[in-house]
Amino acid sequence: MSEADPVELLLRSARDEAVDVSFHVTGVMMQYYVVCERELWFESRDIEIDRDNPSVVRGTQVDNTAYEDKRRNLSIDGRISPDLLDDGRVVEVKPSSSLIEPARLQLLYYLWYLDRVAGVEKNGVLAHPREKKRETVELTDEAVQRVEDAIRGIFDVVKSDSPPTAEERPFCESCAYYDFCWSC
Amino acid sequence: MNDNYHIFSDGRVERHNDTVRLITEDDEKKYLPIENAEALFLHGQIDFNTRLISFLDDHGVAMHVFGWNDYYAGSVMPERGQTSGQTVVKQVRAYDDPDHRLDIATEFVSGSIHNMRANVAYYDNRGFDFAEALGDLGHRREEISSVDAIDEAMGVEAGARRAYYATFDEILPDGFVFNGRKYNPPNNKVNSLISFGNSLVYASVVSAIRATALDPTISYLHEPGERRYSLALDIADLFKPLLTDRVLFRLVNRGQLSADDFDTELNSCLLTESGRKTYSKEFEKTLEETIEHPNLNRKVSYQYLLRLEAYKLKKHLLTGEAYEPFERWW
Ligand code: SF4
Repeated sequence: MSEADPVELLLRSARDEAVDVSFHVTGVMMQYYVVCERELWFESRDIEIDRDNPSVVRGTQVDNTAYEDKRRNLSIDGRISPDLLDDGRVVEVKPSSSLIEPARLQLLYYLWYLDRVAGVEKNGVLAHPREKKRETVELTDEAVQRVEDAIRGIFDVVKSDSPPTAEERPFCESCAYYDFCWSC
Repeated sequence: MNDNYHIFSDGRVERHNDTVRLITEDDEKKYLPIENAEALFLHGQIDFNTRLISFLDDHGVAMHVFGWNDYYAGSVMPERGQTSGQTVVKQVRAYDDPDHRLDIATEFVSGSIHNMRANVAYYDNRGFDFAEALGDLGHRREEISSVDAIDEAMGVEAGARRAYYATFDEILPDGFVFNGRKYNPPNNKVNSLISFGNSLVYASVVSAIRATALDPTISYLHEPGERRYSLALDIADLFKPLLTDRVLFRLVNRGQLSADDFDTELNSCLLTESGRKTYSKEFEKTLEETIEHPNLNRKVSYQYLLRLEAYKLKKHLLTGEAYEPFERWW
């Protein structure tokens, strides 16, 4: 097969079509792509996280206790699992404002995925429980572009033999790979 | 976190409800809080059953067994923990590539020599004149960068260790004569202390490696198969000066060990149970000592330095980023 566009590759992998090397992107990978590409590379290789590290606070579990809304979880081929509100909108909850961008991209990715793979058009809600705010998120053309750029970016990161070099980021302190990156 | 429990008495260790219980021969019962344990070290004659093994397994606790004469006999490692085919593949590839293997092996030797030298420099600053030994170690450290085979690297490390050990007889107080390294069995008090200390370092490194998905049987400086967990031999070398030797000097210089702590026979000298207790107590205290880490911006324990060393090696193997061995920086 010739050099396929990662977006094509992802769609074909999702549809279980025969591809040379399948390519999947999870919601968490979308978040890591925004937060730290090195973390994304580690995540994609299943490099284990130091679970003893008490400073590891980032995580999607926070979502489940942060919001009282009734939500249903929709798991699609075990890789992406958006939460749906009663009105059918996809909801993504983020505990802190510094994690809004990663959460927004993840939400957009879910919307994109539902649209392109499942053929369902949905709107999304980005909820900030601490600030008691909700923000409607739609899959505009610009958003589609953003998601597809991210997919291509993720592809480059995960197919690379080595991770991007470590750079001190605001998220490092709470990152599971902190000791891995910085013990040198 | 990461507590080690050393059991010296003979008896039985068993699961009792949600704890581990030790029953000594005179029917004394002790409970070991297992939640924060890293490993049990069994030094006495201990019975245990499969229920205990499963329980330790559930809690991710290793069990290191020491046989007669303080020798490390083996470990019961928890199954949980990390396995990663990818890591093992990379480990084997690095071993199989002679240049890559040599690079890693020489880093281990270079770090070991640095750490030996740090101990010598400490005493050189405290009234001893070790200029010659320091020069010798410095010279060997340079030499290691130009070796081109593993056995040469081994040779440089052996030479450095000889020069290092040669300083011991001057540092040690009266009553402690070393006169070079002898094992199987150790022939004097100092050798018996080094043997015991090194086996504790080795077992602690085995525990540390377990946390990383590295395969402990694939090593670089030592030949895989030399010991069951030969990678632990590679890494332990880096830490012997910091752990084994410092604990030894501390105990001996403070007069905390006496002739009663050793069983001396014609050709051998072994630590008694009370000697081993004294040593391991000080050893555990040392593992808990902390030091400000220059890159992590926090204090880390010496025990955690062992874990970090395994992380660093794993990171090197998986990412190709340089591996720099542990070198005492303080
Ligand atoms: S510690 Fe920092 S550089 Fe390393 S993976 Fe985490 S966020 Fe990225």
